[in-house]
Amino acid sequence: MITVADVSKSFRLSREQRREQRRTPAEGVNAVENVSMVCRPGRVFSLLGPNGAGKTTMLRMIATLLKPCSGAISVAGYDTVREARQVRGRIGFLSGSTGLYERLTPTEILDYYGELHGMDRHALRKRRDGIFDVLGIHEFANRRIARLSSGMKQKVSIARTIIHDPMVMVFDEPTVGLDVITAKSIIDLIRGCRDQGKTVIFSTHIMGEVSLLSDDLAVIHRGKLLFNDTFERFTARMDSRSVEEEFIRLIAEA
Amino acid sequence: MKRIGVIFRKEMKDMLRDRRTLFFMIVMPFIAIFLVFNVMFRLGMEMESRSRDKIVRVSVISAAPLQEFLDVLSASGNVEVLPSIADGEVSAMVESGQLDFVIRFAGDFEDRVARESTGSVDVYYLGSVSENEGALIRIQDALDEYGRLLLGHRLEERGLSLPFVSPLRVNTRDISSARARIGDRVGGMLPYFIVLFSFLGAMYPAIDLAAGEKERGTMETLLVSPATRGEIVIAKFLVVTLSGLFTAVASFLWLYVVLRTGGPLPAALLEGVAGIIEPRAVLQFFFLLIPLCALFSSLLLSASVFAKSFKEAQSIITPLNFMVIIPLMIGIFPGVKLNAATALIPVLNISLASKEIIAGSISAVYMAEIFLVQSILAGAGLTFCTRWFKREEVIFRS
Repeated sequence: MITVADVSKSFRLSREQRREQRRTPAEGVNAVENVSMVCRPGRVFSLLGPNGAGKTTMLRMIATLLKPCSGAISVAGYDTVREARQVRGRIGFLSGSTGLYERLTPTEILDYYGELHGMDRHALRKRRDGIFDVLGIHEFANRRIARLSSGMKQKVSIARTIIHDPMVMVFDEPTVGLDVITAKSIIDLIRGCRDQGKTVIFSTHIMGEVSLLSDDLAVIHRGKLLFNDTFERFTARMDSRSVEEEFIRLIAEA
Repeated sequence: MKRIGVIFRKEMKDMLRDRRTLFFMIVMPFIAIFLVFNVMFRLGMEMESRSRDKIVRVSVISAAPLQEFLDVLSASGNVEVLPSIADGEVSAMVESGQLDFVIRFAGDFEDRVARESTGSVDVYYLGSVSENEGALIRIQDALDEYGRLLLGHRLEERGLSLPFVSPLRVNTRDISSARARIGDRVGGMLPYFIVLFSFLGAMYPAIDLAAGEKERGTMETLLVSPATRGEIVIAKFLVVTLSGLFTAVASFLWLYVVLRTGGPLPAALLEGVAGIIEPRAVLQFFFLLIPLCALFSSLLLSASVFAKSFKEAQSIITPLNFMVIIPLMIGIFPGVKLNAATALIPVLNISLASKEIIAGSISAVYMAEIFLVQSILAGAGLTFCTRWFKREEVIFRS
């Protein structure tokens, strides 16, 4: 479970950024403002918003990469600031910009992350082989990442994310730049995590993915939540004909 | 601690599979050392011998034939005395290279000498031709010898001999060992290569391990693992320090091989080089180099952590090269000595200490001071780097 309680996050702008944004004389920018939400186990929570809405900042705070300026976030019962290590031991994080070590093999990468998560050798090997079976990685398990296709790399990324069997999954625009077939592997992963009772939060601006996966939905714009409820209620209350049009209407009215 | 080991092992494996890193650590020092010793030194020595052996074409202008001088000049070797030319042709003949030297005795030279006064001699040559430098010394020696002959004639007329006007004969006796002399002259030069390459060898891994990891999108996943930022920095710091030390060892071995196999150096210099290769001297030098590599590592890693990309890291780090090269060059200058103050300046201290290590005169107090100063600075650098790494605006700088 993820509980976000009245969280705000602002960033100081560099001199260069202030010069670029002449219209904003402020020294900082509020990336997230007083956001509260709850992501429950066995459900997929979609965080929907345009570029620069604060989605990545929100997910990075959940993943302990950033500290909130105010408010609190708990993941699997642990506070993301005070108990960051416990939180990191329980989450799997995958973003669209995630890369892999090009000079290592899939086996070495999984062993690396497994060892970082404190898994013992026997359990790690068993878990790794199981994941390789499911994702079909065995045939290229000992080939260096640089020599793999993008589809193969994506499979390794997925394997890396789940090697330690995390309770909570955080996906930050995970399908950005992927072809349809590779993106489907991510969609399947998200569904699989939900079916296993994991807590899943993912950010996107692709409406098709929202309709396909969401149990709960939050719409974020300029750091503020415009909607936060179940996907069912979102569609029931729609004034527009499609999810996409309703999203655009919400953003336009904000 | 366990996670430091996990990250360290992974980074070492990753680094040793990178051809560019291996090139910087092993191949580049060899190429540079080979070129410096086999091309530059050989070229320099060849220039020197060419200057020494050059047969210079000389014309002597005088009102009357000065046979005694011409005999002295011819006896000095590698001199071809050509017929005398007119005063007006001097510049043109020298500038065109038809003559290397023109020695012009003043018109009243003989009169003045006969009146026991001082006669004037002008020597014309092109200073811009480097080979003339050695030849000029030979011409001057011949003129000095001629001057002594003239003085001898004057003294003879008075029934005196040359020792009458030279009551003092100075005999210099250099009692320093060849090892000490070489230590002072080239002691700063040998570590110049080793220290510089240890910096360059650490540079590429430092950029790859922080800025490179940011650029490739692997940093975020590492930060989401249970490893703390401190553990990550320490592991990377150890890898970068080791790569600097490894490059230093490789450079040392290449120096040894190049000097021992094909080096064009004179025997005296090789004897001095043998001094530094003495196990005790090598151990002393590397003892001081360890904290310096750690200091390089903390600085390079801090700069790399700050950079957004590989390219930006390179542009930040390139000027840091001067922070290494300048103190190393100062260390080579003669007269700059190791003392309590210079021992406090990183890089310069090891450059100066190495002269004394080669000479076998390094004091234990200075060794301890240098080791301590560099260790403290490396510790401060590592602390700064860790704090830097914990700052959101640095790690996620956009």
